[in-house]
Amino acid sequence: MISVADLLVNNRIPGNYFATDAYVRGDLEMGLLENRQGDRLLAIPETLIQGIYAGLDKETGQASRLVLFNCGRWWGKNFYTRFSEELTDYYGNSLSDLPMVDFLQSLQQCWITHGWGKLDLDQTHQHHGFLVVKIWNSPFARLAPKTNQPVCYLEAGILAAFFSQISGRELHCVQTTCESMGADCNRFILGLPKRLEPAETMVTNLDHDAILKHLCG
Amino acid sequence: MHPDLDSILNEAENRYLKPEELGILTRYVTSLPARLQTYRTLRDSEITLMQSVADQLVAQMPGEAVENLERSIKNALLVLRHCAMGMLLNDETLVKSRLQGWLSQTIQVFNSQAIDSTLYRLLEETLACALSPQQMELLRPMLKVAQATLLPPEAPLTAAALNW
Repeated sequence: MISVADLLVNNRIPGNYFATDAYVRGDLEMGLLENRQGDRLLAIPETLIQGIYAGLDKETGQASRLVLFNCGRWWGKNFYTRFSEELTDYYGNSLSDLPMVDFLQSLQQCWITHGWGKLDLDQTHQHHGFLVVKIWNSPFARLAPKTNQPVCYLEAGILAAFFSQISGRELHCVQTTCESMGADCNRFILGLPKRLEPAETMVTNLDHDAILKHLCG
Repeated sequence: MHPDLDSILNEAENRYLKPEELGILTRYVTSLPARLQTYRTLRDSEITLMQSVADQLVAQMPGEAVENLERSIKNALLVLRHCAMGMLLNDETLVKSRLQGWLSQTIQVFNSQAIDSTLYRLLEETLACALSPQQMELLRPMLKVAQATLLPPEAPLTAAALNW
């Protein structure tokens, strides 16, 4: 016999915390955007993203990739803290106790609601120690200057830091396909820095599957 | 708020409302006492209704793991709460936006379509017994949206679908 009353904890059924219409709130009088906890949200105009790319390129040239990656790491670390705090408050469970499906759905909905595109995880190569993250409709790819290699260093940094925090191991992230180069989505491989290192140089001449084959071979 | 009502309210600066637009508003306002009463009934009998559904579900799916049944029942509680709110505001989009990309993925991950199909059938039958026909008429569109969002009908089994 299943007791329905026992299924309800504090009469709550936590659902889609990051649902766009519930999560983003605007205060027209103050001109502020806030999330459902009352924390400030920042809307970034496209020209600012383009300006950051252009400014960094002019000031730092080739090093702009590393600067963006490190900015992403910083962002990702803080993003993990906020994400973890908000979900812990909402579900009344720590992130590590959250069922995988709820964690993944929350992350996906969070990504969409913040306007960063649609995200999915591919765990096919997990047993080899690699996790593939796919992102569609990324504004960071769409607004980046076109080059002959993937450009989402900011997101790579965010993902590296975010999943490092989750796994408790220092992880690196390499982007292998990019919407800015006409790919169907942005693919990122996450893994231990030493094991992922060879992928850095493969990106320019091998495709995603070939890179993974080399890494897992 | 229902998109039709929302768009009507935005017309205030342009013109007075046409009779048919006022009709939409009148229908909603007239239905509001019934909506409120239906909402109260659902709120007050949530546990009783869902317990009845749960008991029937256990009886109909004896081979299924309790953990799977409990997960589906918990999700159905959430669905019914969203449907009740959607019914109160006459807003199907609220039901869809809260469930899409959320529970639909849970159903896929846990492969619980069979349980959920039975569960939503039992839920609708139980609600039809507990609510008056008029109340059910207000709630049914929301349940339909929820079911269509969570359990899209399978493609018909045709030769083309099987690539024959």
